[in-house]
Amino acid sequence: MNRYSRRQVLRFGGVGFAGVVLAACGKQANVPESENVVSVGDTPSKVTLPNVEVDDIVLLRTAASLEYNAIDTYDAAIGLGVFNGAFMPAGEIAKRLRDDHKGHADAINGLITKLGGEPFTCGNPRINEVYISPALALITDEANENPPLDVVVLAHALENLAAQTYQGVVTMLSDKSLRQAAITIGQDEARHAAVLAQALNPGLGGILPSVNPDTGKANVAAVPGAFGPLTPINVTLGAPAADGARASLNLETPSLNSLIYAGVSCS
Amino acid sequence: MSLPAATTPPSTADVALLAFANAAEWAARDLFAVAAALPAFSSEEQAVLVGFHDHHRAAAQALGGLIGADAPNVREDAVYNAFRSRLSGSDKGAILDALRELENTLVATHTSLVGTLDGTAGSSLVASIITIQARHAASLALLAGRSLDDALVNEAIALTPGATS
Repeated sequence: MNRYSRRQVLRFGGVGFAGVVLAACGKQANVPESENVVSVGDTPSKVTLPNVEVDDIVLLRTAASLEYNAIDTYDAAIGLGVFNGAFMPAGEIAKRLRDDHKGHADAINGLITKLGGEPFTCGNPRINEVYISPALALITDEANENPPLDVVVLAHALENLAAQTYQGVVTMLSDKSLRQAAITIGQDEARHAAVLAQALNPGLGGILPSVNPDTGKANVAAVPGAFGPLTPINVTLGAPAADGARASLNLETPSLNSLIYAGVSCS
Repeated sequence: MSLPAATTPPSTADVALLAFANAAEWAARDLFAVAAALPAFSSEEQAVLVGFHDHHRAAAQALGGLIGADAPNVREDAVYNAFRSRLSGSDKGAILDALRELENTLVATHTSLVGTLDGTAGSSLVASIITIQARHAASLALLAGRSLDDALVNEAIALTPGATS
């Protein structure tokens, strides 16, 4: 009579097989250990990223970088020579808003210097790469029928982005006086956005949110809601493609991959 | 990587400041109700004023929600009385100017609060109110046909909690 059932034999057999497999995977005598997964050929050594801190200086340097993004974009827009005829007033507004951004950049860099940080005097490279350069390429495309309008659309989006950034960093800044300084500039940016919204969708109908009955899409509004949003900003720019659709960009406030850390410089 | 601290709740000192902001927002709500009822304005203009009225009510409610039972949830009479007499007659430009001054005063007051509040829950909420009321002010300047400077510059003086009542 068997002392073990068929089920018990299979169970013990499985445990034994697992032990053999684990032993085979363990350390072996006279075999050098590698920090890499076993592979054939040379493998690069591990590179450890520096430990970075998201402190008040980093947040302010990031804010300064956005100011330069705005200054550069307004300069580029003015340089395009598109603010003629009906868009001439928009050109005057663009110059005024650019000058405001210069003042904001100086103020923010002044705060950075007081805190012992290095001022940041150029545009945020990541924002340039993923938003502004593609947007300007769409605007200046030869097939685009209305570059001046698209310039104002982009400027409006950047002002909203700046207002959202300052509103957002209020929660992150550790120093209360810096929070106040940030939102003082943030409310300026919100005013810029409202003025440009009125340039895009003038009059009473352009103040509060509304929907275009033909497209079903939201119209530009000077006052988008009861509280300042922190949501992505969608802009549609450039010439229509073959299917009639135009390119869309979603602008988001700077995050961990676009902050201006201590080691980042303009050079 | 080290990140800033998470959102912090209002401190005891914050509660009094947020209560003042709550009462100031109720006053603004009531002032916009007065303006929106004036026959000087067209139905389209009234719709915008009602929209701003609703924004101030939402701000008051949110501030009240943050501090719970400590919220006065009644208007600050000093704020209301300071502007009420200017909201009459048929001079739309003058009424819109008064409302813009109200918005600018609230923006200045809330901005001052952000520099005083300890908890970031309060400063974050107030910041989200500031960016909207700055837009209100700019829009009111444009509606009244004022200059770009009038839309962009805020020269109003912040109210001081306790000094107005």
